[in-house]
Amino acid sequence: MSEVLQSTAPSTLIGQRIPKLDAPDKAAGRTRYVHDIQLPGQLYGAILRSERVHARILRIDTSKARALPGVSAVITAADIPDQRPIGVVKDNLPLKTDRVRSLRDEIAAVAAESEELARHALTLIEVEYEDLSAVTDAADSLLPGAMLIHPPIAGAKSGDPVGLAGRDDNIAMRFDYVHGDVGQGEAESDVIVEDTFYLHYVTHCCMGVSGVIAEFDAKGNLLLYSNTQVPFLHKREFAEYLHIDPSRVRIIQPPIGGGFGSKLDIYPFEVICVYLARATGRPVRMVYTREEEFMASPTRQPVRLTLRSGCKKDGTLTFRSVHTLHDNGAYTSWGATTPVVMMQAFASLYRLPHCEYHTVAVYSNNPYAGSFRGYGNLQATFAIESHMEKMAAAIGMDPLAFRLKNAHVKGEETGQGNIFRSCGFQDCLKIAAERSDFLHKWREYTGKQKEPGRFKRGVGLAAMLHVGGGAKIYQSDGCGTIIKIDDFGHVTLITGASEIGQGSETVLAQLVCEELGLPISAVSVVNNDTEITPWDVGVHASRTTFVAGNSAIGAARKAKDKILEAAAPRFACAPEDLDMKGGGIVRKATGEMLTNLPRFIRSLHFAQQSDLVITTNYYEPPSVHFDKGYKGDISAAYSWAAQVVEVEVDLDTGAVRLVKVTGAHDVGRVLNRLGLEGQIEGGVVMGQGYALTEDLQVEGGKIRNPNFRDYKLVTAPEVPQMDISFVESMDGEGPQGAKGVGEAPAISMAAAIANAIENATGVRITSLPFTPERVYRALHGALPELPTTPKVAA
Amino acid sequence: MSATTEIVFMLNGAERRVGVPSTMSTLEMLRDMLGFTGTKYGCGEGECGACTILVDGASVNSCLMFAVDCAGRQVTTIEGLANDPCARVVQDSFVKHGAVQCGFCTPGMVVQSVHLLATHPHPDELSAQRAIEGNICRCTGYKKIVDAIVDAGCAVGDRS
Amino acid sequence: MNHAVERYLAPTSLTQALAVLAESGGATVLAGGTDLMPQSRAGRVKFARTLLNIRRVPGMDMVEVADGKLLLGALVTISTLVDHPLVRDHAPLLSQAADHFASDQIRNAATLGGNLCNASPAGDTLTPLMALDAEIELVGLDGTGVLQSRWLPLDGFFTGPGRTQRKPNELLRGVRLPVAPDDQKVAFYKAGVRPALDISTISIAFAARRRDRAILHDVRLALGAVAPTPIRARRTEALLEGKALTAELVRVAAASAASEATPIDDVRASGWYRKELVLNMTQRILEDVGNN
Repeated sequence: MSEVLQSTAPSTLIGQRIPKLDAPDKAAGRTRYVHDIQLPGQLYGAILRSERVHARILRIDTSKARALPGVSAVITAADIPDQRPIGVVKDNLPLKTDRVRSLRDEIAAVAAESEELARHALTLIEVEYEDLSAVTDAADSLLPGAMLIHPPIAGAKSGDPVGLAGRDDNIAMRFDYVHGDVGQGEAESDVIVEDTFYLHYVTHCCMGVSGVIAEFDAKGNLLLYSNTQVPFLHKREFAEYLHIDPSRVRIIQPPIGGGFGSKLDIYPFEVICVYLARATGRPVRMVYTREEEFMASPTRQPVRLTLRSGCKKDGTLTFRSVHTLHDNGAYTSWGATTPVVMMQAFASLYRLPHCEYHTVAVYSNNPYAGSFRGYGNLQATFAIESHMEKMAAAIGMDPLAFRLKNAHVKGEETGQGNIFRSCGFQDCLKIAAERSDFLHKWREYTGKQKEPGRFKRGVGLAAMLHVGGGAKIYQSDGCGTIIKIDDFGHVTLITGASEIGQGSETVLAQLVCEELGLPISAVSVVNNDTEITPWDVGVHASRTTFVAGNSAIGAARKAKDKILEAAAPRFACAPEDLDMKGGGIVRKATGEMLTNLPRFIRSLHFAQQSDLVITTNYYEPPSVHFDKGYKGDISAAYSWAAQVVEVEVDLDTGAVRLVKVTGAHDVGRVLNRLGLEGQIEGGVVMGQGYALTEDLQVEGGKIRNPNFRDYKLVTAPEVPQMDISFVESMDGEGPQGAKGVGEAPAISMAAAIANAIENATGVRITSLPFTPERVYRALHGALPELPTTPKVAA
Repeated sequence: MSATTEIVFMLNGAERRVGVPSTMSTLEMLRDMLGFTGTKYGCGEGECGACTILVDGASVNSCLMFAVDCAGRQVTTIEGLANDPCARVVQDSFVKHGAVQCGFCTPGMVVQSVHLLATHPHPDELSAQRAIEGNICRCTGYKKIVDAIVDAGCAVGDRS
Repeated sequence: MNHAVERYLAPTSLTQALAVLAESGGATVLAGGTDLMPQSRAGRVKFARTLLNIRRVPGMDMVEVADGKLLLGALVTISTLVDHPLVRDHAPLLSQAADHFASDQIRNAATLGGNLCNASPAGDTLTPLMALDAEIELVGLDGTGVLQSRWLPLDGFFTGPGRTQRKPNELLRGVRLPVAPDDQKVAFYKAGVRPALDISTISIAFAARRRDRAILHDVRLALGAVAPTPIRARRTEALLEGKALTAELVRVAAASAASEATPIDDVRASGWYRKELVLNMTQRILEDVGNN
């Protein structure tokens, strides 16, 4: 314990480069992920998945597996009569009963003494199928007479979810949005462009594969070691599936080997693991293989998108009309709801008087789509920013001026009802363009398109808008915090917000220390046990710094008030005359150190009839839910970015090398510069992979490349130079002025690269990915044409 | 089940005697039999580098190495680098430069960096990038990892 | 389970190793393991009763120059091919190709012999060694237990994907190739989605001597991943042999190389694209040779 009266720390922690609190253990290999935990008596679970894309299950014979020594349990749907469908619209029974709808479908599960044994037991289970015709193209799913993926189930009660009642069509979800009058917008347009875009399947590829451990105590209470990003939502759901009170479910989150949105939903394997633990009375760990991770994890949803946009000769945008078709896959996870984010990009990225957006997410026998960093915004921004380029060219304006002409400024409200109380968008565009020498290069490279030579350079600009102050999707978008200051002056920050590698625990610690005038070493963070931590809705929507940060600041302020109120009489002054700085209590006017914190806290705690310095706070952002027409100020703040990429296209091979990324991000305010840079750089490279290398090849419902050999993530030698600037728009509601930024950097990458390829070669490609062969084909007019997105009557 | 072979080898400086099935990987032996969980399973196919260890001083993917082939060799895992001065410099540099996010690739990255610095004490950015081309990171975008390696190179070099 | 190995052996002499191979039922040979492990786990390779680790056999990791030949033992690692001064000096094409091989960790473990015996049409050392007129030595015991050796040109060793002329009782002991003459020009090209950690979409290895700064002799052009085995583009070699490179010849030769490629569509690329790559990159390579 140190009781230092003089502090050498900088006067503020805000904007500093603070190393992550959990980094030393991680660098030493001491961090225990779910895969590393071994409980006494632990069994190992494994799942038998469908070998057919779409089939009836005629017979399952588990007798040989059950007879294998070392196997503790084999379960099928028949063993779990109280199963309930899970997922966003409750259409997914964890263990399938009479039908499999995709290759990842769960048929049976085993718990055994070792992982090898469990997987061996799976090979002994016999399943007899009767194949059904499969729907593996989203457009086919809409055709009259198409095979129904969830056909109506006889005897269903009204109000039953899809999993119990079925549907008489293949539409999983639809969204229709309008503001203004698109007809009027068309009439006022001097230029109208229309294109169809196709966005492909990609998947999260968290380095730590999915895993869970389930254990029941003697009273039947469930303890889960889970990688979830939404522990409190999980708690309630598991209770529902087990028909027990939520208070009997405890979730501990070991450190997570990457999330990126993949752990927002509840998945069959987690529920099945719980069933295995219940069946065996022992803890059961279930961990995927990498191949299973590819086969059985949610994907970013593939989208076909037809965009029609217009503008006037002077560059004013007039309207946008969008139809999209989402391949939802066999079951509905959050992927189906990404249109909610896409429509925001269409309606509000630029000032736009008229906008309509119609989408359907349809069932198919393909892998099902989940949520993934950016949540539809990558797909929408790809189309919007491709069109911005095309329209600018059509009216002879440069791409920067055209965007600036339509870019929002502080104080504006969009047609959708987003209110931009802070907005650094114009600055982002200008800074990114200036620092990359965008206009000069753009003109130069345009001029060189027709010159001979193997390598062509190009620059491309793209912008993005994303929620930066939470998103009011669930009933509450709030987060709770408890702060406990112990007798040694050490602060324990107990927060509902999960750390998934993004650095939230460090930034929250930093915000609290800033309030309390303490060095970062004075705080530890507890954030991974629902038995201890207060409610949080989950890690998503770039919300943690903003929402949990405000919550933590509030709790710290209450602690500070409590301390200073107690201190004031002792130092014969008012609480307002005091402050906490440098690890102690100081006189505000003179900076005189009156006492150090540990000593004062002890004197406070050990006094008679005293109270402990433990405070709580709950923060709910001042945002609103959408109305029925998807309008409303859904976030307390909005983040902006503009990114310029420079590429080199190899005309001989179609290979696109990403040379440099110049980004400017309106982050409100820089809190932890090191962590912020890490989020941006990581997101940029994830966006690079989306555009250039990653391609989950799904053919006839089968994944052709379920491994890192053929699903190509970006490696270190491909990383571009990065020049990232931060625009500090000082959001009035944000913690210390900050806004969320976790998803922003990936969003505009594909669009910027598409624009850069066009700048280099004169060829616009409207479908992803830009792998060498696809770019080469595009350069030679050999990419198949994309059919227009079907319009589905409401 | 495959036949079990008893092997003797040096693990992190101490002699170990283990009976391993012939087809078991070194990764499985380390994690499941010996409890050295700092070495991570990322893909099992040598495509991600999360399981990187040192064998007789060279970095290899432990998921591709047959455990029986450890016989008579010096095997070093991330745990065995705890008191290695070069590794400490690398680890501190990773922390300082923000090269760690979810941390799952980090032990493999650190081991691979230690191997690089043993042969090239002053790597430039390009050679650091090349050295970790077999280590996949999904969080950081690699830049800070490369910065950390280059900086650690300087630190290791200055010390000697 | 696929893992039914009854016996593991790591002999310390070549004769012992060959004796094991000669037994009925044979043995699965283990060297670096970097391919055997994933292939066996995926069920693409079935283990024999015996797993035979040849890494303890002495002398098989040698790198030597003798009688104008570079000799490489089968257990030489890919890293050694990248770094060893003798390889760099006398077979720069092989060094260059080895540097494109997978990742550092795999290069440290994978062996030359393993890469050759796996006989992947996309194997990274195969095309350069074919272009360098490499020969390989296969050794085995005859019926009386006497060691027999035979040398084969590498070109012709491969009989299909994963298949070679090696008999079950033989080991590949090493490779020899003529040291690079001073007037030799070489080039290696590998196409992939990424610069690192990638399996070739195609690869091209070129070697030729150039007399009087113009006339090409001993032209070798080997193509990878465009046929069931790596191939020599012999018609194209013949077109170039004894000629000086002109723009027209480069064009004709590139078209010829593409016509000799018979690639398939797979998860990595289409056959059409592979042929285009062969065409364009052969042209580039020949242009570069012509210009330097």
